[in-house]
Amino acid sequence: MTSRSFYAVGYMFLITAFFSTLIIGFARGTQNRVLVNERLAFEKAVLTSFGNFSYRTDAEVNRLFQEHLAQSPEYGKAWVYRKDGVLVGFALPFEGKGFWAPIKGVAAVSSDGRTLLGLAFYEVNETPGLGARIAEPFFRRQFDGLRLRSEGLLELKPEGTVLSEGQVHAISGATQTCVRLEAILNEQLKDWLDTMRREGRL
Amino acid sequence: MKTASVKPMQEILRDGLWKDNPIFRQILGICSTLAVTNLVLNTFVMCTALTLVTALSCWTVSLLRNWTPRNIRMMVQTLIIAFYVIIVDVVLKAYWPDMNRSLGPYVGLIITNCIVMGRCEAFAGSNPPMSAFWDGFFNGLGYSAVLLVIAVIREGLGMGTFCGWPLPYFSTHWDKWIIMVMPPGGFFVLACVIWVCRSIRPREVKK
Repeated sequence: MTSRSFYAVGYMFLITAFFSTLIIGFARGTQNRVLVNERLAFEKAVLTSFGNFSYRTDAEVNRLFQEHLAQSPEYGKAWVYRKDGVLVGFALPFEGKGFWAPIKGVAAVSSDGRTLLGLAFYEVNETPGLGARIAEPFFRRQFDGLRLRSEGLLELKPEGTVLSEGQVHAISGATQTCVRLEAILNEQLKDWLDTMRREGRL
Repeated sequence: MKTASVKPMQEILRDGLWKDNPIFRQILGICSTLAVTNLVLNTFVMCTALTLVTALSCWTVSLLRNWTPRNIRMMVQTLIIAFYVIIVDVVLKAYWPDMNRSLGPYVGLIITNCIVMGRCEAFAGSNPPMSAFWDGFFNGLGYSAVLLVIAVIREGLGMGTFCGWPLPYFSTHWDKWIIMVMPPGGFFVLACVIWVCRSIRPREVKK
């Protein structure tokens, strides 16, 4: 190696260390704020998945979430929604690998575990205009009141297909995202429902 | 690295905004042009981010140009661009999370935007820091001007709104052209804008 090569390697090393240090410092400085935002996005997704909450400010989101939702060990990772002491349903967080990046969302399930009350996402980084459209209301609303089947709980069918129980329309041009979302939902919902039924909680 | 004769500010401004406009002259940065221009507010934030990143990256690249070995200059430029993009991304995540979610991966993709790397390589590497800063800034403004025109047309015709506010006539009587807010709408409007801008000064193209 010549001295010029050593200089180039040393220069690159120094400059990388310098800019990385600045980024780490900056990211640490804003870490708490980012965590609060992520928590808020999750709470909004939970409220949205049930479909009957309206809010205007972040403070209202936090208040509604604290008032109506709670986590208890017997229901695993699901959040329990009670209204005036009566069990309405469960918000089950799910996540898995999408086409490009993780998909994170919440599925609201009825108290008997047979119907989906709604679906909402708090992290989607799929292809804008295609896969990312799973987070748009036109797609999500299909899951409101969707009756789950006993085998293969739900299915995403191509647009234009006549739908039967447990089926919704996929998005044209977003096949990979839809296939992955279907697998994530079926796997994680089934796991949780099977556990709850086995333990006699549903 | 050698320093070229300092370009007058007026020329830098004219080149960035019009004569060498990155969008309708050089056809650079088209990916984000098509992707984020269906909403004016998203476009404005994306343009601000790109303008800041281009200006600051050019300034930093120029500042380091006399010490940066030529054979690794592009690695250094990418590192500098990535640094500023990550800073913008972290700021949006912390202080404007909704916008961060709406823009999705496009803020991160500024790193690969040809305009930023193009200005660093073509201008900042051989010009003094302040000239490089203004060159990056005016190229960013040139990009922003075209994108905002496209966004106003797309949001107005597609949704009948401007920055989310209902427009008279377009929000009530206009039969909304949904295709305008979808990706093909971006192609149509971009093509029309390039056509109009190049029609205004056709001789420059012939040269």
